[in-house]
Amino acid sequence: MNRIFPLALLVATLSAAGTAQHSDYALKSDFEDRYRQIASRLDSATATHEIESLKGEIEKLETDYAPHQQFLDKALYPLTFNESMEKLRSLQVLTYDRVFLIRTQGVKLSELEERISSLTTRLDSLTAQRDQLFGELQESRKSLTALREAVKRLTANLAAKDRLIFAIADSIFLPYGKDLHQVADLQKEAIGQRLDKANVLTRVYEIAADNVKFLDVTQLQGRDYGNLIEQYQAFTGRWAGLKEKITDVAATSAMVPAVSTGKGPVKTPVARGGKKDSRAASEIAATQSSHVDSVLAEWHARLNAGFWGGLQKEFTAAGIAVAPFNDGPSFSSSVRQEVASLAASKQDPQPFVETLWKQKIDRDWRDGLTKDAMLGKTEYAALDKLVSELSRETIDMTFLAYIAGILVLAALIWFFVFRRKKRPDHPAPAPAP
Amino acid sequence: MIRLVKICFAPAALLVFSSCSSLKMDYVDFGWPVESVVTVSSVNKIEDLRYSVSAWVAGLAQEEFQDSTALHGAKLRLLRSSEGYYFLTGPRFKHVYVFSPGPSSLILNKSIPVAEGGLRNPALNQRTPYVEVVDGDNFHVLLTSDDIVEVKK
Repeated sequence: MNRIFPLALLVATLSAAGTAQHSDYALKSDFEDRYRQIASRLDSATATHEIESLKGEIEKLETDYAPHQQFLDKALYPLTFNESMEKLRSLQVLTYDRVFLIRTQGVKLSELEERISSLTTRLDSLTAQRDQLFGELQESRKSLTALREAVKRLTANLAAKDRLIFAIADSIFLPYGKDLHQVADLQKEAIGQRLDKANVLTRVYEIAADNVKFLDVTQLQGRDYGNLIEQYQAFTGRWAGLKEKITDVAATSAMVPAVSTGKGPVKTPVARGGKKDSRAASEIAATQSSHVDSVLAEWHARLNAGFWGGLQKEFTAAGIAVAPFNDGPSFSSSVRQEVASLAASKQDPQPFVETLWKQKIDRDWRDGLTKDAMLGKTEYAALDKLVSELSRETIDMTFLAYIAGILVLAALIWFFVFRRKKRPDHPAPAPAP
Repeated sequence: MIRLVKICFAPAALLVFSSCSSLKMDYVDFGWPVESVVTVSSVNKIEDLRYSVSAWVAGLAQEEFQDSTALHGAKLRLLRSSEGYYFLTGPRFKHVYVFSPGPSSLILNKSIPVAEGGLRNPALNQRTPYVEVVDGDNFHVLLTSDDIVEVKK
């Protein structure tokens, strides 16, 4: 029994090794040599068709050595066979992208990277400035002038950051044209890696969160909201476009495995290894996108609450009790009810019309109210007309009273003047003889 | 009094016996997946970077070629078997040397003669539980740590 076992093991070992009598070391070295040759040809390639043809060689290399995968998984440590192949494929993707951009768009990859890097640096310096401004905002609470100045500077800072992050995203997507569906999967893969490198999703999230924080810590006036609403809408619109593109790119990443930048170990989840990680990267992108969506929803909620709450306070401060409102339709309904009530009750509408509507709402809140997301221009114009008519009705009554008074006065004057003038026309009775 | 001695002796005896039993971990696989090709330096040193093994081979050169400088610049093949033995050979070698690791040393376990005329360009392959020596297409030997199991020439 003791002799049978080693013999059986020997037979099994020999059959596992096949008939090959080559050195394992030679097998590993041959694989590495072919790998290096392909990588070197990719590095020096200057035409896209050349790179396309190397794709076939990469596939052949994989096919040739797939039977030795188990051995190579150990021998190629720290990479596995699959990771090595995916690293090579990723190099092909990036090289194709580099050559394609130079050939078709006239864009040098280095210039593009430089632009993204410069924008990223500016964004980072704005982030540092933002921290300082939030500090100033806290300190300047006592002085109204200083507070207004800090709010103004912080608003400008946040707006600049909004523009920059989308400028970075534009720089990444711009060379590929508007229609991302026509862009090759290899290039989408490269876009994905660049988005990841520039940390775009995290930055978008941070900027949206900054805006939420800003709304939380700042006491805003009616006239501040116009810009803030515009800024929110612009951000939301740009994010919708970016999200669509990111989803497209991430879906491609899930299909096309990407590993590395070609040299050295890779840093990102997208690039670390294989289809599994690419799928994970796609899921990460989806999760990050949903985080941005949720912070945008929070931003919207805070903006709305601040705006309608501030407007409601104006009514309260003017001593006018209206039905509570928290959006455009309910505000419109409240104002219409108030106008109808004033018209019906014959109360003096002056405080509402002059003090509140004209002095406060029309002056400070009109910019915000006329935004489509709040009340809209048409509805605001309708309300303004309604309130103005209430005022005109008042003026007309006074005017009529004045007119009536003038008429009465004129009649009296006429009576006294003309009646007195007409008397001499009648001959005086002759004195009795 | 005797009883007192017994009482005192019992724990001491228990302590002595328990310290004699040593911990052992079984089924350890020391095998390298692929051999290392190491070049002998001008000071007769070989060094494998992946497994961080280095050794002086002057004694080996003396043993195989009766010349302590005979291996300068030679590319030797080093492979650790799954049992933990180091197999070493090279071009012109008539033997495969099997070493077991000792404290700061490799102790010769066996030198197995494999080619009377000397190997030309040998390679060692891990074929657990054996180590395979190949030299060209027609030379194939399976070794254990102390003997040849099978030869195909």
